[in-house]
Amino acid sequence: MSFPNPATSVKLVLLGEAAVGKSSLVLRFVSNDFQENKEPTIGAAFLTQKCTIGERTIKYEIWDTAGQERFASLAPMYYRNAQAAIVVYDITKPASFIKARHWVKELHEQASKDITIALVGNKYDLVEDDNEEDGLRKVSVEEGKGLAEEEGLLFFETSAKTSYNVNDVFIGIGSKIPETNAGNGAAPADQTGGEGRIDLTSNSVAANRAGECAC
Amino acid sequence: MGKKKQEMSQVYNNSKNEFIFGENGGKGKHLSSFLRNLSLTGSSSTASVNSKSSENYQEINSSIYGTLGYGSSKINGSQSNAGSIVSTPPALGRSPTSQRAVSVGASYSHVTATPPPEASVGGANSRTSPYLHNHLGSTASTTSASGGSRPQYHRRSHSNTMYRDLDDDWDAELPIEGAASKKNSIDNRTLTRLTQVESNSSSRSSINLQPSPILDSLYPDLTIPAAATASSLNLNSSSPKYNKESMDVEDYQAKLEINKLNQLNTKYAKFKTLLTGDSSINITDLRKLSWNGIPQELRALTWQILLGYLPTNKSRQASTLKRKRQEYLEGLGVVTIDFHESAPSNNSSTSLSNNSSNSRDKQLYHQIKIDVKRTNPTIKLYGYPETQESLRKILFLWAVRHPASGYVQGINDLCTPFYQIFLNNYIWQLQRTKMGGGAVEKNEDVQLFIPGLLDESDDKEQALLNDPKLMTYTLDNFDPSLLSGRIVAIIEADTYWCLSRLLENITDNYIHEQPGIIRQVNELRTLISKIDLELINHLDSEGVEFIQFSFRWMNCLLMRELSIPLVIRMWDTYLSETPLGFNIFHVYVCAAFLIKFSSDLKEKDFQEILLFLQNPPTGHWKEKDIELMLSEAFIWQSLYKHASAHLR
Repeated sequence: MSFPNPATSVKLVLLGEAAVGKSSLVLRFVSNDFQENKEPTIGAAFLTQKCTIGERTIKYEIWDTAGQERFASLAPMYYRNAQAAIVVYDITKPASFIKARHWVKELHEQASKDITIALVGNKYDLVEDDNEEDGLRKVSVEEGKGLAEEEGLLFFETSAKTSYNVNDVFIGIGSKIPETNAGNGAAPADQTGGEGRIDLTSNSVAANRAGECAC
Repeated sequence: MGKKKQEMSQVYNNSKNEFIFGENGGKGKHLSSFLRNLSLTGSSSTASVNSKSSENYQEINSSIYGTLGYGSSKINGSQSNAGSIVSTPPALGRSPTSQRAVSVGASYSHVTATPPPEASVGGANSRTSPYLHNHLGSTASTTSASGGSRPQYHRRSHSNTMYRDLDDDWDAELPIEGAASKKNSIDNRTLTRLTQVESNSSSRSSINLQPSPILDSLYPDLTIPAAATASSLNLNSSSPKYNKESMDVEDYQAKLEINKLNQLNTKYAKFKTLLTGDSSINITDLRKLSWNGIPQELRALTWQILLGYLPTNKSRQASTLKRKRQEYLEGLGVVTIDFHESAPSNNSSTSLSNNSSNSRDKQLYHQIKIDVKRTNPTIKLYGYPETQESLRKILFLWAVRHPASGYVQGINDLCTPFYQIFLNNYIWQLQRTKMGGGAVEKNEDVQLFIPGLLDESDDKEQALLNDPKLMTYTLDNFDPSLLSGRIVAIIEADTYWCLSRLLENITDNYIHEQPGIIRQVNELRTLISKIDLELINHLDSEGVEFIQFSFRWMNCLLMRELSIPLVIRMWDTYLSETPLGFNIFHVYVCAAFLIKFSSDLKEKDFQEILLFLQNPPTGHWKEKDIELMLSEAFIWQSLYKHASAHLR
């Protein structure tokens, strides 16, 4: 704590269906890079990045979770003490939007009450040149916005490939994180104590979700 | 004598781990004390040889190492003595663990073809200490100067042998072939080992080759005059005087024989012998041999046998494969998915059919499709549409046939070693066929071919066989579109079945909640807490949880942490540990892997640790790093296996 202007640490988790571009979003944000065929994330990946918003410096500690259903039982471990979450879907894949809905619901039920959530529709690059109805876009901006307003989320459409809007997501989240968190020196210790535990009670969560996903 | 015999075998057995320590101790922190012990023992015995009376010598012999005991018996010239010593090795044989342990260390030793032993005699000391070299030379010159009796000299050189043996036997592959056939004068070739350089220098292997290696290399020949000649043979570069005296016909013959044995004694030859010998392949021997790595050319065949896909009974091999490959095709036949790339997925073939199982299949296929595209994205072979189509078929069929787990990310990675090894094998078989114009050569090789690949052939296969570039093809430059449909189907089927066999051992890893992985992660933690308390305390104080970094290690069997060639080498050992290599033993390997970085990790904080472990610096790793890791894992398994069992 010898820094003149200590950075606010923000624990952030990414959730969303497989292959919607979670890892790519983070890679763009952290390294300003993009890989066309990125290996699927297994379990979760950890990354950090600092982000300056006005006077404040926010240090994001990012848990980029695996999207495949089979790994979903690990997710509570990562979102339980997160201050922020990004729920990602692919605007060309309607199923991924349904999945995003589920994640938002689960976060509201299970995660910390004051968590800041951003809903992000990714792969905007695929629909940039879309004509009205015959394009690749399968989830409209309105649908996304609608869900965000309903649930009180930030909303963005992004492209990790072109970097369109990516930083805005993190800046948006950062400005919504209450300043008071800056002094939460004690909180991280608390968090790390809890986050890693394998919570056997999460059975029920996973079971619920499995039920929902029979659709 | 009976007592002594017992003592010796005990020493040997007790020291079974030390073989490994001796070999690898320089690197592993925990092993270093063993290494110290070992070298201490070695040098003291040497000293005794040099400067003390034979009485002392004998005393020390009996108390330190079994091998030295041999030297003493030699001095006494007592046949009964000798007999009793020779009879000790069976005690070794009884303990497969010790055998295994020994051969662990051996793994580097026989990589390449073998130059004749004398090549390494003169300048061989890059590894052995100059002290030894000098010692050897001086012994020789003293002897010849004084006109000392031959036996005397003989004894001394033997003592040298003994000493160096201590070191080099750990490298040598003692126990592998049990067959007790010709052991004879050549035994004394152990002396060549004295001057052996690094592992892949080969003359050492001439000794290994001997059919009854325990006897031969641990207890070099008791009998023979040839012993003296052989030593002179080996000394001739450093001691020309002596050389003159003894270079006779006998020498020459011994030399010839050495060369011959050298050539035979590549790892390849051992596998070949085992795989072509009887009508039924000895799976136990094959496992032992495979633990230390399988020669590239024989890997496909050996893996298929180790996995139980290819029967050990040769008369059943061809028919079994035929049936299995047919089954695979029939399995694909009932699937409604169109695997061909160009079909732009959705809404095509299945739209007519009704139910939800179809849409589930489509969802599954979609997942597999996007993952196959990003499987080994940096390796050229996996970029070809043909490769990707094969992987899609294999993974999809496996997933629909295993609904309890279905397709789980990571299985796509596990599929790739099989695919590329079987593809590689086909290329190799073609190359061998082309090369083997000579009927004999060809016939020998045919026994090492996986049945069915070359039995019949169509135009495309003929074209490939006559491809002027055939001999230059490797996995790095081969275009799978050159394969015929028949061959593609065979490679897919073999991959499918071998993948299935592999996954049978770890089904718990991929079912709901992945209990197998959770268990392994917990076991890893328990294990580390026993092996490296400091590390676990540090991880705890930083709040790092094992599941955060080791989940992936279990889910993908370290395939994301290591390059494919290294993974393949690792699987040689895993497969020879069947059925538990991929779950139980893997945890010990993960422990060895983590502890490799122990000192780095202890300097890092939470974030640095996780970032480090997500991308561990293994880029420069070679096979020997893997083998070291496997050896360490093996030690820990033998130390802690039962301890962790009762915690479960």
